[in-house]
Amino acid sequence: MAYRRDSYRKDSYTRADSYRDGRIYDDEEYGGYPGHADQSKTLQYSDFGNKDDFYDPRGTSTQSYSFPDAVAKFIIHLYQSINNRDVSEIENLYEIRFPQLTRDYFKEEKWPQDITHLVDDPLFTTLYRELYFRHIYATMSNSLTFSDRCNSYSNYCELFNMILTSPEPIDLTLTNQWLWEIIDEFVYQFQSFSQFRRSPRLNAEESQYFKEHTYIWSVLSVLNVLYSLIEKSNINQQLRAYFNGENAETVAGDFGKSPLYKMLGYFSLIALLRVHSMLGDYHLAVKVLENIDLHKNTMYCNVPACQITTYYYVGFAYVMMRRYADAIRTYTNALLYIQRMRQMFQAKSYQNDQVNKQTDQMYTMLAICLVLHPQSIDESINSVLQDRKYADKISKMQQGDMKEFENCFTFACPKFLSPVPPAIDASPDPSQEPLQIQKSIFMEEVAQQIYLPTIRSFLKLYTTMPVSKLAAFMELDHNTLMECLLCFKHKMHNIVWSKGVSSLDGDFMAGSEVDFYIDKDMVHIADTKVGRRYGDYFIRHIHLMDELHRALKGLKF
Amino acid sequence: MVGGTRREELEALKLEVNSFLTSVERYNSNNLPKFEKYVQLQVSENMYDLEANLAILKLYQFFPNLYKPEIVCWILLKSLTNLPNTDFVLCRCLLGAGQLDDLNIARIAYLANLLELCQFKRFWQEKAQDANLISQITGFDDAVRKFVCHVVNITYQSMDKTILKELLGGITDADLRSWIAKNGWKEEPNNMIYISNQDEHVKTKNISEKITFETVSVVM
Repeated sequence: MAYRRDSYRKDSYTRADSYRDGRIYDDEEYGGYPGHADQSKTLQYSDFGNKDDFYDPRGTSTQSYSFPDAVAKFIIHLYQSINNRDVSEIENLYEIRFPQLTRDYFKEEKWPQDITHLVDDPLFTTLYRELYFRHIYATMSNSLTFSDRCNSYSNYCELFNMILTSPEPIDLTLTNQWLWEIIDEFVYQFQSFSQFRRSPRLNAEESQYFKEHTYIWSVLSVLNVLYSLIEKSNINQQLRAYFNGENAETVAGDFGKSPLYKMLGYFSLIALLRVHSMLGDYHLAVKVLENIDLHKNTMYCNVPACQITTYYYVGFAYVMMRRYADAIRTYTNALLYIQRMRQMFQAKSYQNDQVNKQTDQMYTMLAICLVLHPQSIDESINSVLQDRKYADKISKMQQGDMKEFENCFTFACPKFLSPVPPAIDASPDPSQEPLQIQKSIFMEEVAQQIYLPTIRSFLKLYTTMPVSKLAAFMELDHNTLMECLLCFKHKMHNIVWSKGVSSLDGDFMAGSEVDFYIDKDMVHIADTKVGRRYGDYFIRHIHLMDELHRALKGLKF
Repeated sequence: MVGGTRREELEALKLEVNSFLTSVERYNSNNLPKFEKYVQLQVSENMYDLEANLAILKLYQFFPNLYKPEIVCWILLKSLTNLPNTDFVLCRCLLGAGQLDDLNIARIAYLANLLELCQFKRFWQEKAQDANLISQITGFDDAVRKFVCHVVNITYQSMDKTILKELLGGITDADLRSWIAKNGWKEEPNNMIYISNQDEHVKTKNISEKITFETVSVVM
């Protein structure tokens, strides 16, 4: 028996084809590729591909219709819950039941591809297929085929076409977690494809197909989706109103009022942050968030994964901009947030792995930052860094071990990508090129600062010392040392955010723990003295005593 | 007045480019000629716009077939005029592997490295060899001197006049006097220059423990 939801007949949303003439990011057009040059370039929500572009048309699918009862029930149940806008049931089915069924039935194989005999509703089918492909990417990346990649792309196009080309907001209720994961996965698959395109594994037929369909997973079509969602939802206007304490509803517009569009818009901003970071455009990455006040504790979205992703990429962009104090603040906030939220993730194992990985990466980035820019940070975060896992790395980096810096960076940095296929004369493994470029730029920065920790360690011992004495300690001639001292001041004097909504704002400040100035031939040193902390010690012991007291009381003599 | 019309052209172009930057037009390669013209005017009119320049580099990243090395050189040199900001790094992160091998670009990266290391004396020597590349950038030397002044300002309370002249690229006494005036420095006896009172900025910090009510309320 097939369910049908009337409001989503095929004709109720505009098919992509009718928008062909108005697409913004026609790759053939903007990419300088031949063909289709006659199309106009008016700005409109465009198509992102259409059904005919499916690499392996669905008709040829040989998938059988027989699958476990529980799975069929789940699909129908999910469809009904979405129809009934039963948010708590949707959450349960999506976050608990789906991973459960995956564990029980689809550990080694794909979810059924065709469910039209169960539910005949294009929107639901598209949503379901998004889950279907996501599952392949997540658990069967080895058997992920070229056609899976293309078909998943087409499926996203269908989904976003339905959402963006509908004349009025479509009536669909999903949880924020789900919406976030759609956008997050969309960017992930784009990144995965960009890497795949540069890998030597691509065979001749695939390369040929790709040459004829350049828009598939092209950076412009991905950006187009994200920008369109942002524009449609008026999210920037809404955020500006929200952080000014005004009523966001008045600027939201019809689409922006719908939670579906609003949250998709918000998540698209975070996705842009990520895409720009992966392309090495750190300035634009942070600028995209200029209407989000990351310093206020007001939580605009309740999806922890989104929150953590935001901090992770903003922190990284700060590192590359040499804004260490800001990076340290951002990472510390994120890690404190994760400490608070720990319990919540543990309940949902599939989110846990991702969070653990990102946590580890952020501690590593934080370690790098603190080596380059020592300063005191939150005790509870600091105690994690003193753990052996990080302490070894930190002490190696402090001794100027370049290899260790490189390893830490490679582990903790985002995935980088190039938006274009490799050049003909590219290196043997062009998929590694984007990472190599960003890494070499970072390593150059580290190399420029290589003397600073040694100078710092000598400065710490004195309040004043003659330049000549420091030169003798450093075994450098006077002129070289003077340059190193100027370099020290320059590198430790960076833009630090102090006020304003945009995270790009800030003033030049010296925030590191050791500072100095030179008067004639004398170095005057200012250190940071951290007073002993008693509070923590006493509170811990009060708790211990309390426990002991209670235990004693409970004893019977 | 030729200069006046140039300036007007720049202002008009600035408005137009800024309108591209706020929309998806920033990714439209058809706008590249305008963007490139804008860089050219930044170079000749001694004006600077990081955001537009990054947008150009991004377009080159997306459309490598439209890549123009001379524009990229200009952008990179212009980014050095905005030191101590890290614009040079931001620009370079957008270049591809092959592009970084370009001889001129490698040369600019070498000069940038000297500036970042504050090896100013060496920088001025090396820079003299790249007259062709750099002389096109109006106001380049003074922009670098401004950066030198910034580093001097945060480092010294008072310093030797001869050394200061050397850092600024071996300038004449007359030029030095104008830099002294611009920065509010003072000439002192014994060939010394008084920069500023650093005691106010460079102070030993004491971080003492702050216990919030929330932490204690648990045990009260």
